[in-house]
Amino acid sequence: MLRASAAAEKAGVPSSSLVCEGFIGQASTTSIGLGLPNLPVALVPGHVGTQSTEELNENVLGVTVDDVVRNLTEAPGEIAMVEDPEPHEVVFSGTIDEINRLFVENEWSDGLPVIPPTAQRVEAFLAFTDRDPDEVLAILLPDSRAATIWSVAVNGVMAGCRPEYMPVLIALIEAMGDPDYGVEHSGNTPGGETLITINGPVASQLRFNDEQGVLRDGFQPNTSVGRFWRLALRNLAGFLLHKNDKCTFGNTWRVVMAENEPVLDEIGWPTTAEDLGILKGKSAVSIARYTGSNLIASATGNTGEKMMPFLADAVLKQNTWQLVFTIGTSPGTLRPLLVLSPILAKTLAKDGWTKGRVKQYLYDYCRLPAWEFERYLGEWTDHPIRDLKDQVNLRRAPSEFAESDDPNRMVPITFRPDDFMVAVSGDPLRTNAITFAHNGILGYSVAREIELPSGWDDKLNMAR
Amino acid sequence: MLRNSEIHDVVWPRAARQMEIAPVAPRLETLEGKTVAQLWDFLFRGDEVFDLLEQGLKKRYPTVKFVSWKDFGSTHGADERQILADLPETMKSMGIDAVISGMGC
Repeated sequence: MLRASAAAEKAGVPSSSLVCEGFIGQASTTSIGLGLPNLPVALVPGHVGTQSTEELNENVLGVTVDDVVRNLTEAPGEIAMVEDPEPHEVVFSGTIDEINRLFVENEWSDGLPVIPPTAQRVEAFLAFTDRDPDEVLAILLPDSRAATIWSVAVNGVMAGCRPEYMPVLIALIEAMGDPDYGVEHSGNTPGGETLITINGPVASQLRFNDEQGVLRDGFQPNTSVGRFWRLALRNLAGFLLHKNDKCTFGNTWRVVMAENEPVLDEIGWPTTAEDLGILKGKSAVSIARYTGSNLIASATGNTGEKMMPFLADAVLKQNTWQLVFTIGTSPGTLRPLLVLSPILAKTLAKDGWTKGRVKQYLYDYCRLPAWEFERYLGEWTDHPIRDLKDQVNLRRAPSEFAESDDPNRMVPITFRPDDFMVAVSGDPLRTNAITFAHNGILGYSVAREIELPSGWDDKLNMAR
Repeated sequence: MLRNSEIHDVVWPRAARQMEIAPVAPRLETLEGKTVAQLWDFLFRGDEVFDLLEQGLKKRYPTVKFVSWKDFGSTHGADERQILADLPETMKSMGIDAVISGMGC
């Protein structure tokens, strides 16, 4: 919304941006990142979602109209910008307690103690890349900050990563900068959190946990790289709570998930990275934002036909309002994730199931009546869409969504079977799974290959 | 090993801002006779809000004209990048003098 206003202003056309009361602060910080710190906004009192028609009339006609007129006819006041330090600049000398106090006060840390980013520690990380420290990996919204190799190393130090994780951290910031991922949406109100998946030989070389407790903190690579991601969103992109990060609730970062590749090899299923276009055998990170997860306990059965109905039921029920990413905001961008424990994947494979067949099953059986799908869009999330058939006619949805006029016809929750993501990790001998609801275009699934420095094996041996 | 009494020289942890600060566009002297575009992200009752704004603004400026959000498409989601890239040309071809963009909620 502000990006549209900024595009108009830069083309020489004055704008007024309509902003609900709780978002005025976010609007002013986002405007700075757009290069227009005094972008004018018009207040919409309260939140429109809870107002009666009469209340909305009173608020818009009584308050917003005046602001719109002022925005379009009066020049906004100038806003003084604070000068930032230089990227390599030493900003403080002190003890670890003093440093941590300073970092909290300046919103440079997540509230937990950080390892002091001294030049010496940063250099140790830089030894694990052949790339120029000043190379810009991406310009990241909302602050339009230039994430460099150097700034990646600084935040890796702070997060408690080991220097040899540096190639993983670089790949992650490259993925964060992928336009398809959409980092600019990371401060949205649902507050989804990114899940990082690591694949390839690097995962085991760096000793990522890929089995029991894979999503719990406790293993240095999984935990510290997960923490790095959120520090990077803070310091490299500019997402700060009560400013650009407007998550209604939010949650702590997700620990990195390593897939169980020996099991995937054994059963002949492709990895998550391969599903996202990375060549087999290459090391890679994959990212996607998820709004929540649900554990599926005790998926028992010795055949796919016995196990899959229970799993599909759980995947379907995890996706409710998120259907706006199937049809609505960004057609066809919903990619629900199902993570199977190795014993479940091996049982399915033993029964002849490929990963493709699992995805096809989810596509065929994660379905709901058309009227219910339409209720999520038009009635419950207030999208201006009332009829799935209209969307098919407008070519914004495939024909499967309008195979008849029957409101009870069953429609899928994704555009294609391949939109379902299926991974294998967790306790090898427990029959549990976990499913994640995806955030669609607000954190679309992307992958990046991990580029290793020259002399990787020697450097890694030295680091150990 | 870190000791609490040890002094560390720490570097700035943030990345440098890259954007050029630009001035906003010149404002209009009046909305009388002007054409105002409605840009909407298709969220949060913007259709109702734009109807009300039209009503309120026309009361003050009877000759103000509006180009509906329906003529632009959603400014959020899958089409956002293309719509915003095309916006300068679109506004020019439609003779747009000002923009109202919603909804930030």
